[in-house]
Amino acid sequence: MTQNEVNWPAALRATDSGEQTAAVNALREILQNGLRIALNGRSDVSGAHLEDFAQESLLRVLDRLDQFQGRSKFTTWAQAIALNVAFTELRRKRWQDVSLDALMADGAHLAEPAMIAEDVLGADEDRTRLVAALRNAIENDLTPKQRAAILGELRELPFDQIVALLGTSRSAGYKMLHDARRALKQRLHEAGITSADIQNAFS
Amino acid sequence: MNKMEQRLTREQVGSIVKMLGLTTDREFNCSECLQHVSEFAECQLANQSVGEVISKVEQHLAMCPECREEYEALMKILKAGQ
Repeated sequence: MTQNEVNWPAALRATDSGEQTAAVNALREILQNGLRIALNGRSDVSGAHLEDFAQESLLRVLDRLDQFQGRSKFTTWAQAIALNVAFTELRRKRWQDVSLDALMADGAHLAEPAMIAEDVLGADEDRTRLVAALRNAIENDLTPKQRAAILGELRELPFDQIVALLGTSRSAGYKMLHDARRALKQRLHEAGITSADIQNAFS
Repeated sequence: MNKMEQRLTREQVGSIVKMLGLTTDREFNCSECLQHVSEFAECQLANQSVGEVISKVEQHLAMCPECREEYEALMKILKAGQ
């Protein structure tokens, strides 16, 4: 029987402890092999890390078995969870020393004219108008935390790290960012800048 | 960090503008994306069109570098298994 022919949810829930143990071990191996392929070449990932990620992923998958709806192969669904576990941890380690104060301070500078480099504007009048409206909206329509969150994204700070720094949950953090983007977009529209203008400005 | 390092570059301002261009009233968050990304990845691998729900995965991936990084890693695994 191939891995795709296994009824994974049933096997992982099996009351026969031998069958369940075999399924758990097989899935752990599949997840670890996948992680090895995905993270191959990274200097910050050792064999021990792969084992830890696979074990943590396995627990996460078992915890979420009820959420598997069969719209993809089970192993693809489980690999997606494993990658989320591994990358979240790797990003946390990379950014663990960034402080909220630094992020908030940087966010406060976002609206300052001096903070947008001269070569952003060029000679394009439409782009100049858009950036002026954007700067005004950032200054007047966003909260300090929204500004900090947007700057965190621009700095490629992991979203998990941003929400941790802002002391909020992942879903509340996403809503905060989404509300910020919608507010900025609305303000640009009110300034007569269309969606097409926005999409074309830096294309 | 000094002022020069804090100054937003053309790429960063462009990135804000691009994010606004992609912003819609109803979007998947990262958790919803994770729940559906395996189906999206298999459709992409099979070169199949995606439905309305799964198209929201594509929109989220365009907005979210972390989810995009994980999706690209998933595709790497799936392609290795072909």
